[in-house]
Amino acid sequence: MRLLFTTFFLMITLTAWSQTEISGSVKKENGEPIPFANVLIENTYDGTTADESGKFKFQTEEKDSVTILVRALGFYERRLSMIAKGRSISIEVSLREQVNELSAVTISAGAFVASDESRRTVFRAVDIATTAGATADIAGALNTLPGTQKVGESGRLFVRGGEGNETRTFIDGMVVLDAYSPSGPNAPSRGRFLPFMFKGTSFSTGGYSAEFGQALSSALVLDSKDNSELTRTDIGLLSVGADVTHTQAWKSGSAAAKVQYTDIRPYIDAVEQNIDWKKAPVSIQGIAAFRQKVGKTGMLKLFGNFNESDFSLYNHDIDGQREKQLYRLNNKYEYINASYKSVLNQNWIVKGGFSYTGTRNDNTLDNVSYNEAEHGTHSKLVFEGSITDRVELKAGAEAIARIYSFKSDADNAFDETIGAAFVEADLYASNNFVTRAGLRSEFNSLNGDATLDPRLSFAYKTGSSSQVSFAYGTFTQSVKNEWLRYNTELASEKAQHFILNYQRTSDRKTFRVESYYKIYDDLIKFNNGPDPSFNNGGYGYARGLEFFWRDSESIKNTDYWLSYSFLDTKRNYLNFDESLTPVFSSAHNFSAVGKYFIREINSQLGVTYSFASGRPFNNPNLARMNAGRTPAYHDLSFNWSYLPKPYLIVYLSCTNLTGRDNIFGYEYSDNRNESGVFNSRAIRQPAPRFIFIGIFITLSKEKSVNQLPTL
Amino acid sequence: MKTLQCTFIALFFCSVNLLANEVNDEKYLSTMQKNIDVLYDAKTLADYQTVINAFERIAGVETKKWEPLYYAAFGYIMMSDMETSLVKKDEYLDLAIIANDKAKALAPAESELLAIEGFIHMMRVAIDPASRGPKFAGLSMQSLQKAVELNNENPRALALLAQMQYGTAQFFGSSTEEACKTGSLAIVKFETYKSENPLAPVWGKKMAEGLTKNCQ
Repeated sequence: MRLLFTTFFLMITLTAWSQTEISGSVKKENGEPIPFANVLIENTYDGTTADESGKFKFQTEEKDSVTILVRALGFYERRLSMIAKGRSISIEVSLREQVNELSAVTISAGAFVASDESRRTVFRAVDIATTAGATADIAGALNTLPGTQKVGESGRLFVRGGEGNETRTFIDGMVVLDAYSPSGPNAPSRGRFLPFMFKGTSFSTGGYSAEFGQALSSALVLDSKDNSELTRTDIGLLSVGADVTHTQAWKSGSAAAKVQYTDIRPYIDAVEQNIDWKKAPVSIQGIAAFRQKVGKTGMLKLFGNFNESDFSLYNHDIDGQREKQLYRLNNKYEYINASYKSVLNQNWIVKGGFSYTGTRNDNTLDNVSYNEAEHGTHSKLVFEGSITDRVELKAGAEAIARIYSFKSDADNAFDETIGAAFVEADLYASNNFVTRAGLRSEFNSLNGDATLDPRLSFAYKTGSSSQVSFAYGTFTQSVKNEWLRYNTELASEKAQHFILNYQRTSDRKTFRVESYYKIYDDLIKFNNGPDPSFNNGGYGYARGLEFFWRDSESIKNTDYWLSYSFLDTKRNYLNFDESLTPVFSSAHNFSAVGKYFIREINSQLGVTYSFASGRPFNNPNLARMNAGRTPAYHDLSFNWSYLPKPYLIVYLSCTNLTGRDNIFGYEYSDNRNESGVFNSRAIRQPAPRFIFIGIFITLSKEKSVNQLPTL
Repeated sequence: MKTLQCTFIALFFCSVNLLANEVNDEKYLSTMQKNIDVLYDAKTLADYQTVINAFERIAGVETKKWEPLYYAAFGYIMMSDMETSLVKKDEYLDLAIIANDKAKALAPAESELLAIEGFIHMMRVAIDPASRGPKFAGLSMQSLQKAVELNNENPRALALLAQMQYGTAQFFGSSTEEACKTGSLAIVKFETYKSENPLAPVWGKKMAEGLTKNCQ
C-alpha cells in the first residue's frame, strides 16, 4: 500500500516536473501588442494563440533544447532557442513589421494604376471596357481621368499641356513606337492594342519611374495577361466588322490567336459623314499571343500584332477653287514583343525583353507618292530585388534603335540608337513612409547627347486611408520625326515635373487632389519661310490642379466618378513668335462617368459626360497667333451591355447623344481672297454620332464565361 | 541462424516503428478531431484565427498530411466571409489559397481540395462581381467541376457547384432548374456519402438545404 502510494506520488511529481510552462507576450518593436500570434514549439503540436493583448501561456512536455517559433500576420516570424527544464519560462517577443504590399504606402503622385487583381486601385481594367464614350479604347477611357485634355480630332492622350507624342506606350516594359491606328484627317485614331489583352494598366501623368524614358509627359504601361487558364473561343459580330479569337490553355502555358476584320463602309453608307471618302477604312488585323511557364519560376511571353489598313478620300479646297485632291493611305504595321521573367533566388528576379515595331505609310496625294517608314527595336534587361527587407532595388540597361526614312522628292532618313542605364531604389522607413530615388542616363547616337535624369518621390501615410505624396523628375525625349528628319543634329527636348498629391481611399470611395508644375526646355523652334533654321530654342511651362472623386458605395447599383483638371500652359516653340497656349490645350476639362446596373434586365448602362473649355486656334486674319478660341466641347455618350445568356453579350453604344456640332479648330486657306481675308473651314467631328452594335459569343466548357472583360 | 536473428531484430524494430507510427497517428487523429470540432463551433474572427493557428502548428509537424492545411484554408474562407473590409476579405482569401495550394501539392487528386479552391474563387466574385465575376466565376466553375469529376459522391463539391449555378442563373435571369437539380443531388449525397477518411469534412449540408429551399 505504502509502495503504491509512493509510486503514485512519484508519478504525479514526475508529470509535474516534465511539464514546462511557457508564457509571455508578443509585441511590435514599438511595444504595442500584437494580437492572435501563433506561438509554438517547432516540430511539435505544442503551442497556442496569443490573446488580444498579445499574452500567451502554454505547457509542453518537451525537454532539453527547443525552438520557439512566433508567427503573426504582417510580421517577420522569429525563432528563439531555449532549454525546457520543467519550470516556468517567461519570454517577451518583439516582432518586426513586414513592409507589406497591401498595407504599405504607395507612391500615388502622378500614378493611376488599374488592375483587377488588387483592390487598392483607383481604376480597374474592366473600367476601360465599360466606360461610355470610350468604345473600348484604352486612351478613350483614360481620357476620363484627370490630367488629360480632350483633343477630339486626335483620339490620343494629351497629358498636362503635353503633345500627343509626349505620352509613350509600353507593353510589358517594352516600348511601342506607333501605338495608334491610322485615321482620316481630323478623325480620332484608336489605340492598336485592345484592353482585354492586359491584366493591368498603369497610367502615369508625370514623375514616373527611371525605368521609362523617351517620354516628356506621360507613360502608359500595359501589363499583358499571364497564362490563360481557360480554353475558349470568342466570336464578335460588330456593326463595323467581325472578329474571332481562340485561346488554348494547357497546364503550363497558353496560346491565343485573333483575327479581326474592320470595314466601316456599310456604316458610312448609312450615316452621312463630313469626310468625302473614296474608300473608307478597311483593315485586317492578326494578333497572336503565346505564354509558357519555364521551369518553376520562369514565364515566357510572346506577342505579335500585324495590321494592314487602307483608305482613300478627297480633300476639298477651302476656297472651293481647285479641283478636289485624291489622298490615299496604306499602312502596314508589325509589332512583336517577347519578354521573359524569372526568379533568380529568394531576393532577386530578372526580366528581359525585346520588341520590334515596323510601320510603313504609303501615301498618294494627287498622284504624287511619298512614304514614311520606321523600324525600331528595343532590348532591355532589368534586375529587381531586395537588398534588405526595407530596401528594394531596380537596375537595368536598354537600347532603343530606330531607322526612319521619309521618301518624297527628296530622301530624309536617320538612324538613331539610344543606349540607357537606370537604377532606382525604394527605401521604406516604415509601412508609412517611402522614398524612391532613381537615376537614368542616356546616350543618343544621333545627336551625341548624353543626359542624366534624376527622379525622386516620397509618400507618407497620414492616416489609415490617406496619404500625401510628392514626385520630381527630369525627362528627355527625341524631337518628333517630322522635324528630326530635316535636322538630325537637334538636341533632345526636356521636361521637369513637380507633383504634389493627396489621396484618401476607402473600400469603395476615392478622393484625390493633385497639383503640378512642369517646365519645358530645348523644345524645337523654327522660322516660317524658306530657311526654317531648326533649333532647340523653344521653352514653356504647364501648371495645374486636378480633382478626382469616385464612389461606388453611396448610390445602390451605381458606380460613378468625376474628374476635373485645370491647366495653365504656354510655350514658345515651333514657329510661335511669343509664348502662347498651344492649340491642343484647354484650360478646364471635366468628365462624369456613371455606370448603373439593372438586375431585372441583366444590363449595365453607362453614361459619360465630357466637357472641355474652348481651345485656341490660329487665325491668320488676326494680328496675334493662336488668338482664336473654339466654342466649348460637350459630349454625352451612352452604352448598354446586355447579358441575355452567360456566354452572350449584346453591346450598344452611342457617342454624342445630343448630336452637338463640336468644333475643334479652324483650317485656313493659304491665300487671301478678294477682300483680303483668309477663308476658313471648321474642323468638325466626322459625324455627329458614332453608333456601335456588337454581339459577343463565347464558347467554352464553362458556360458562365463571357467576354465582358474583353469588351 | 545469424540471418534469422537479423530478421528477428529487423522485425522487432519494424513493429516498434509501426507502433510508434500508430501512436503518432492516434495523436494526429485525436488532435485534429478536437480542433475540427472547435472550428465548426467558431463564432468570432478571434475563434477562427485561434483554431487556424492550431491547424498550422499541426501542419508544421505533419508535413505529408493535407487535412490540417485544408481546415486552415476553410477557416480563412470563413474569416473572409465575416470580415467587412474588402481589402481584408481579399487578404484572408489569399491566405486560404496559399494553404490550399500547399495541400493540393500533397494530394492533387483530392476532390475536397478542388471544392475548396472553387469556394475561394466564388468568394472572390462576391467581393466585386462586376470586375471579378467574369474571371473568377469561370475559374470557380472549372475547379468545382473538376472536384465533382474526381469524386461525384462528394456532397460539398455538388453543393458549391449548385450554389455557383444558382448565382449564375439568378444573375442572368435564366432557369435555376439545373442548379436545383445539383442542389437536391447534393442533399442526397450528404445522407449517403461516407468517406473512409475519419478526418473528412462534413460541412455544407445547411448551405445545400438553404439553396434548395429557394427552389420550391
